[in-house]
Amino acid sequence: MTSHATAATAARPEARSGALGRVAGSPLARLITRRVLVAIPLLLAISLLVFVLLELLPGDPAQVQAGMDATPEEVEAVRRRLGLDRPAPERYLSWLFGVLTGNLGVSSVQQKPVTEILATALPPTIEIVALAFIVSLVVALPVALLAARKPGGFFDRTIMVISMALLAIPNYVLALLLVLIFAVAFRGMLPSLGYVPISAGLWPNLRTVILPVLALSIPLMAFYARFLRGDLVEQINSADYVDTARAKGVGSWRILWQHAFRNSSFGLLTIVGLNIGGLIGGTVIIEQIFSIRGLGMEMLQALGARDIAVVQICVFIFAAVAIAANLIVDVLYAVLDPRIRYGRN
Amino acid sequence: MKSSVRGGRSAVRLFGTLAVALSLVVAGTACAAGGQPTDENGNVEVGDPQPGGSLTVLLDAGFAGGWATGLDPATSNTTGANLPQNAAIFGGLFTLEPGEDGEGGQIVPNQAEGYEWSEDGLTLTVTLRDGITFTDGTPFNAEAVLWNWIRELSSGSTGAPRIDLNTSLEPPQLDQAFLDDLFAALPEDVDRDALNGRLNAIRVVDDLTIEMHLNAVNGSLINGFPGANLNLIASPTAYKEMGARTFSEKPVGAGPFIVTANTQSQRLELEKNPDYFKDGLPYLDALNFQSAAGDQVLYQSLLAGDGQVVEGLSSVTLIQEARNNPDVQVVLGTPTSPYVIQLNTRKPPFDDKRAREAIYYATDFAAINKGLFNDEGEMSQSFTASGGLFWHDTVPGYREYDPEKAAEIVEEIGGLTVRLGTTDIVTARSVTTALQTQWEEAGIDVQIDAEPLGDVINRFLAGDWDALLQTAGAWDPSVGIGVGVRFGSTSPFSGAPLPEGAANAGDAIAQGLTTELDDMLAAAIATTDDDERFEVYQQISKYISDEAYAPFGMAFSPAQVMKKGVHGPGLDQPIPALAVNQGVLYDRVWIEESAR
Repeated sequence: MTSHATAATAARPEARSGALGRVAGSPLARLITRRVLVAIPLLLAISLLVFVLLELLPGDPAQVQAGMDATPEEVEAVRRRLGLDRPAPERYLSWLFGVLTGNLGVSSVQQKPVTEILATALPPTIEIVALAFIVSLVVALPVALLAARKPGGFFDRTIMVISMALLAIPNYVLALLLVLIFAVAFRGMLPSLGYVPISAGLWPNLRTVILPVLALSIPLMAFYARFLRGDLVEQINSADYVDTARAKGVGSWRILWQHAFRNSSFGLLTIVGLNIGGLIGGTVIIEQIFSIRGLGMEMLQALGARDIAVVQICVFIFAAVAIAANLIVDVLYAVLDPRIRYGRN
Repeated sequence: MKSSVRGGRSAVRLFGTLAVALSLVVAGTACAAGGQPTDENGNVEVGDPQPGGSLTVLLDAGFAGGWATGLDPATSNTTGANLPQNAAIFGGLFTLEPGEDGEGGQIVPNQAEGYEWSEDGLTLTVTLRDGITFTDGTPFNAEAVLWNWIRELSSGSTGAPRIDLNTSLEPPQLDQAFLDDLFAALPEDVDRDALNGRLNAIRVVDDLTIEMHLNAVNGSLINGFPGANLNLIASPTAYKEMGARTFSEKPVGAGPFIVTANTQSQRLELEKNPDYFKDGLPYLDALNFQSAAGDQVLYQSLLAGDGQVVEGLSSVTLIQEARNNPDVQVVLGTPTSPYVIQLNTRKPPFDDKRAREAIYYATDFAAINKGLFNDEGEMSQSFTASGGLFWHDTVPGYREYDPEKAAEIVEEIGGLTVRLGTTDIVTARSVTTALQTQWEEAGIDVQIDAEPLGDVINRFLAGDWDALLQTAGAWDPSVGIGVGVRFGSTSPFSGAPLPEGAANAGDAIAQGLTTELDDMLAAAIATTDDDERFEVYQQISKYISDEAYAPFGMAFSPAQVMKKGVHGPGLDQPIPALAVNQGVLYDRVWIEESAR
């Protein structure tokens, strides 16, 4: 790069760093920046809400942790140890400052830093949620396309019945059924309990996550398949551009894949974004059933023991993931539809 | 439309076929192992113990399967729940052994050689077995016991023993190195005065003898050992080398097994202690504890082969199902703790004795026992059942089920509305639903609150409750969640009245005020004579019944459910439950070779 060129780019701020500068100055980047800026106060508001809700929970965390027959003096000692004798606003600000500086506090029950608890609890939860999400989409998309190709046909009707049945089964019941089939009936095929980290080997790890992932993803894949199939059929039956494509002699697969699916993907994206929160919430039960010490199980046990530092950060993470998922969906909208990027829709 | 229906039928057929295939596979799996040899009376013949094999025990995550505060006896808050893990790692100074023919139980010295009370009953002398070593090779001696007891009394655990020690004795001569190690193993903010007082009261006599000096006679102290952290002796040297955190995850004791891996509240893996002090024991090469959520998951995991034992299965339907499974053996524990409906006498409506009487008359626990527990629960009129010490089957004047009388009282007091709370577990919820139906027949309006245990505890602590379905009692009524916890006026889990002149429990303690019931509860442990204790407990039962503080129901002991071929004390030989689950003596648990 010559000095002349450098001077020229310096004179044009939007082109300051070449391609990066173009992205940074693009409508998409502005959209992302705007949404991230909105997400920050939203996260703050959620953290405050979580703090207030924990404060409003019935009972006294100090008394719960002091035990069944603690004397009032002992309860007071626990209260001091947990810092609960300080005013609530001071405790909230102190917690917030800690989070911003990477200090998430110490679990009052486990007596270890919350970061350490998260380091062991996050990997299984992330793995299960990510795999469940991928599996549900990977199965639902082709199934929906196949079903929508011949609405009312045998495959379509079979899929609709099966998906309705799967949707009606709560995921904890499904989890128990899966255990009954794959662990009890076909004894030894898959374990009914526990989690083996990837560091112990890919197959040992996968064996322990297959059933939890299926329990989480099966209702989701049924839901996505039904939703996408319905949207695709509506597009095919009512959209003018489909009629035009048909008139041009475009084949049914191409209409489905290249025309109808692109439009239907907006609806699917919205649903997927909304479902991320539910998917993470589902891990609370699934981790219990499969005895996996993930984020959901940590939160549930911490809630029972009024381990405030752990509950606060778990709920905060759940909320942050839901916000991030919606942010990603919004960005994907903008990528798929330039009208949104430029604020025209 | 027609084709749609056809499609639906196809799907139904598909599911039907799958279901039939599944049930055949399950049935096939269940029947595969067949029965066991029996003698002419039909009893299963159990041969001599066979060493070897590995056993995985499935524990309920909500109780024994939770050890979030670790397994260091001085800092664990769940010692009473973690009896299986403790028995395996530490063994214990004393054990509760099964009685002959499965009836009753008795305290037996284990790592202790014996114990003795002084004539005035104020000094307990415990002697230790000679030659025991911790699994790190260091000696198991009186100084180690002193180090453990002082830590257990001073480390701030919610399970810390509450013993009225005589702290006014002359300070003993203690080795400075010992004191340095002890202080290093205690919280920084430990109360030094209290600590010094405890060091005055608990004294090493010689290498194998230790004394505990009390202010008052405590007749239940030794009976409380098997469920308390005082029973668990860990290696001070290992603690010093490992540090608090690592030690709480991989504690070192002198028990039958050594910890090899521990994922807290999830899985604990142990291997045989080759230098265990009992020759030929333990039988097992390895022992694992796996936590799982709830009875259904526990039972399914057993069937799936992910474990060979479920400790403490309480769901009646699953117990029944397990009984019908030829692969599985089910042993019900000896009951000690009956259900009880605690009534909060400190606020309306149960500050009125007539309202409490109405509940007694409206409650038909016998019908609930028949309907929900297949008549297998043992009916009780007081805080203990046949497995407990000092059990008495009836209480004179106990108010029996009489719905007409209940309805009359309800009318007389102008109606009765009750919030009936319980812990959110299936069996307890079923009982409260049945109670709701019975009470409503007597004109009582009932609202059920089924909440997690933590919330129920909070209700107790806040005094925000009318009636709560709980279990009461323990093997020794004054140990653990015993009669004092449920009926002592200063216990936060009591609904019995406060002493006159006391604004709250703290006030009563500060002023030294007691109720008549408190005095009887104190008298029940103020003697080491079991006959005297028995008489006082009868008086306590009568008092609770006369004052209508709490109707008692059936005592139902959770079952030990095992794969065929697993044996041992506490598994196929019942031991009375110390509080909730019975203990298992894992050094003598063994598996038949054919069942491995």
